[in-house]
Amino acid sequence: MSDPAKATVKTPASQPREHGVIEVSDLVVRYGAATALQGVSLSVGAGEMVALVGPNGAGKSTLVDTLSRVVRPASGHARVKGRLAHVPEGRQLFGELSVEDNLRIGAWGQRDRDPEPVYEVLPDLRDFARRKAAALSGGQQQMVAIGRALMARPDVIAVDELSLGLAPKVVSDLAAHLRTLNSERGMAVLLIEQNARLAFELCSRAYVLEAGRMVVSGSCEELARSNEVARAYLGGGTGDEL
Amino acid sequence: MRTPLPVLVGIAATAVIGLVLPFVLDRGGLALYIDVALSACVVVGISLLMGFAGQVSLGQTVFFAIGGYTAAVLVLNDYTTAVPVLNGVPPALVGMVAAPVVAGVIALLLGIPLLRLHGHHLAFATIAMHLIFLVVVQQSEPLGGSVGLMGIPGLSVGPFDLAGHQSMAFVSLGVLALVMLVAHNVVASRPGRALRALATSETAAESAGVPVGRYKLLVFALSGAFAGLAGSVWAYYVGYLSPEMFPVSMSITFVVMAAVGGMGSIWGALFGTVLIKVVVSSLGTLGTASGMPDYAPAVMSYAVYGLVLVLVLLFLPHGVVPEIRDRLLPLLGPRRARPPQGGGSTPREAESGATADSEPVTSQSGAGVQPSGHGAPGSS
Amino acid sequence: MTQFLMFLINGIAIGCGFALVGSGLVAVYRITGVVNFAQGMFAVVAALSATSFVAMGVWHGLAELMAISVGGLAGLITGVIAVGKRGTQPLTALLVTLAVGFLAYAVEVLIWGENPRSLAGLDGRAELMGVPVQRQYLLVIAVTVVVFVLLWLFFSRTYLGKALTACASNPYAARVVGIDVTRMAFIAFALGGVLGGIAGVLIAPLRPVSFDTDVSLIVGGFAAAIFGGLTRPMMALLGGVLLGITEVMIQAYGNASFATMGSLVFLLVIMIWQATRRPTVHKESV
Repeated sequence: MSDPAKATVKTPASQPREHGVIEVSDLVVRYGAATALQGVSLSVGAGEMVALVGPNGAGKSTLVDTLSRVVRPASGHARVKGRLAHVPEGRQLFGELSVEDNLRIGAWGQRDRDPEPVYEVLPDLRDFARRKAAALSGGQQQMVAIGRALMARPDVIAVDELSLGLAPKVVSDLAAHLRTLNSERGMAVLLIEQNARLAFELCSRAYVLEAGRMVVSGSCEELARSNEVARAYLGGGTGDEL
Repeated sequence: MRTPLPVLVGIAATAVIGLVLPFVLDRGGLALYIDVALSACVVVGISLLMGFAGQVSLGQTVFFAIGGYTAAVLVLNDYTTAVPVLNGVPPALVGMVAAPVVAGVIALLLGIPLLRLHGHHLAFATIAMHLIFLVVVQQSEPLGGSVGLMGIPGLSVGPFDLAGHQSMAFVSLGVLALVMLVAHNVVASRPGRALRALATSETAAESAGVPVGRYKLLVFALSGAFAGLAGSVWAYYVGYLSPEMFPVSMSITFVVMAAVGGMGSIWGALFGTVLIKVVVSSLGTLGTASGMPDYAPAVMSYAVYGLVLVLVLLFLPHGVVPEIRDRLLPLLGPRRARPPQGGGSTPREAESGATADSEPVTSQSGAGVQPSGHGAPGSS
Repeated sequence: MTQFLMFLINGIAIGCGFALVGSGLVAVYRITGVVNFAQGMFAVVAALSATSFVAMGVWHGLAELMAISVGGLAGLITGVIAVGKRGTQPLTALLVTLAVGFLAYAVEVLIWGENPRSLAGLDGRAELMGVPVQRQYLLVIAVTVVVFVLLWLFFSRTYLGKALTACASNPYAARVVGIDVTRMAFIAFALGGVLGGIAGVLIAPLRPVSFDTDVSLIVGGFAAAIFGGLTRPMMALLGGVLLGITEVMIQAYGNASFATMGSLVFLLVIMIWQATRRPTVHKESV
């Protein structure tokens, strides 16, 4: 069934799973007169790490917002099997609340709101659990945002702009955490990045979104080799070196 | 700028109806007619303020009252004999000129501190201004205190006695026409176009070099002057003034009329005023019919104000007139399709989530809204 | 001196009334960004309901509690109308709450007529450090203190309270973690209704309440709440008490008719001062 030859995506190396945790098909999202996404499809398999790259304003965040039901689609589907947690762009913490309260709010709708399991994954959080989220550095805030998402015990975590505004060292630490979550807990990861270099390094497959349309997808290796993608997203030294 | 034929026909029809009605209405009808025309002057000002400066004033009655008191004090004390230049000028006319000037200047002076506030804060500050004004009038000997001023003579200019209901109706119509003409010219002027940008985004307008503060102040002063002018005619018509004629709820009903007609739309202001006044008045007549309890008129008018405002705000957030125009005009001529909204959502803006589920904003309705009388920016 | 202390306590009690109305405004504004013009109406509805319940023979205490729930219900209904429809902007919602106030006038006049009604409160005077004080004033102060402590505990200690703060702090993030922000806004309005209701049943024995008393209540409450930038309940308490003392002192030692004017000027000065300090803050445009 999961014969790679049957894959319909442009490059044979890409392997969309039959039982994806995320299945997006022909998704259209509009804001009033503006169309943010015009017929986008994407899938993330269980335990997979998939990147979604593209320039500013391509509609990447809209796609995740639709997955976490913040935005309603005009047509098409955005299905999530199991539970999706969303680490929004710009961290979006509850600045007035303490770190621990931020985590506990992340477990909204769940009976178990004990942050202990998250502290085990991200032990640094314990050190500033009582501080107000607004008082933290960008890297610390990003860690809280990831922790808050983990509180929902997700099957898949969508991380929007992990690296934005953070120092390379901080980014690689956070990336290592994501990799661990993926390899040790089998958590699927959808990484939304402008920094394609980082995304390609972390993930196995990637999609490229431009102006609300999926322009190309495939294995990260291949995409990195492709001239067009390399010139647009990796060239000119724009991507931060890890 | 081409004005589409249907709009011209509409304006002509409104003018004809306005001119004919005073001949056919009875006394009660004329009183309503005058009330509508003078209220519409105030509402046009509020509509400019809300649609173009993006600000809500819940104290506009103050300027209406100031106009009335200015005219009344001038006429009752007849200053024309004391000032040589004014010798021989009919005192009522002096009052009608002074009323908008005084109201406008006071609005200007009050606006300097008040317009530092925005949105909700300004709305509350203007209510406070209204309440303070009432206290001041109640304590003021020359304004008759809480008893008020009685025996204000009817309007007469030289040998012409205009105090009758019918002639007052024409005077009110003239005043309204003047107000609408001035408002129209302001809207069509270069600052007016800048103001339109202001309603959409103050920050954007500011960074584009529009002197936002000064224009807002100007609109506030102008709206005060409109209300003051209407107030002077009102004072001549009813013949007495007292603080309880100007409750806070009156200011709120003016805002209701502007919101119903469509903020930023001059014709909408007229339409909103006519609609609300006529509905409330006819229900009031119903309420005073035999067999109805004595509180029925009050209940009905409150219910109408509340219900109409809720329904319009939630379902026609642009107001009735702009909503109708936007739906009908494209049908009449494809070239006159609605201009693109200024406060647009570029994909990125929309993507940020903050604007994720926003529909057109009421306070921004000036963006695509101009009075029907003149062309859209894209078509000129 | 005794007289001064008496006035002081009266002022504090009246200020507590403002603070209670103001705390309702704060509860709604923090979470929804809407200044709720119907806040005074909640107090009026509760006060008038209490008079009816008492007239029907319900015991004092129970009647007041029932009236407070009516206030909460009024708050909930207002919230559903004002913010229940997707995409309603704060400034539109402000006008909607005004409109709801008008609708409430219609209902109130229909049920209770246009004349003011009074509610019996605690009778008599008590001696407080040698100062004779009306016992109702002491009750108002005591209840206000309890309410504010509970409010503080609610927002800082309970999960729901923190979730409400989260909605206030970042509505987008609240939606991201799955909080139904609209439902939380309803809760905020209901809370505002309850707080307004408490103010109403406490004030009604001190001054007769009619359908249009809401204007003076909302103005006093807003003046108190603006003291804390409409977001901090404790500052609203402080603002309310300062305001109450100012009013009573003007009444006692100055011209009584200027008493409300004092509070209004106080309100304007504070607002303009705040706006001048932070000229770029437009909460409603966010």
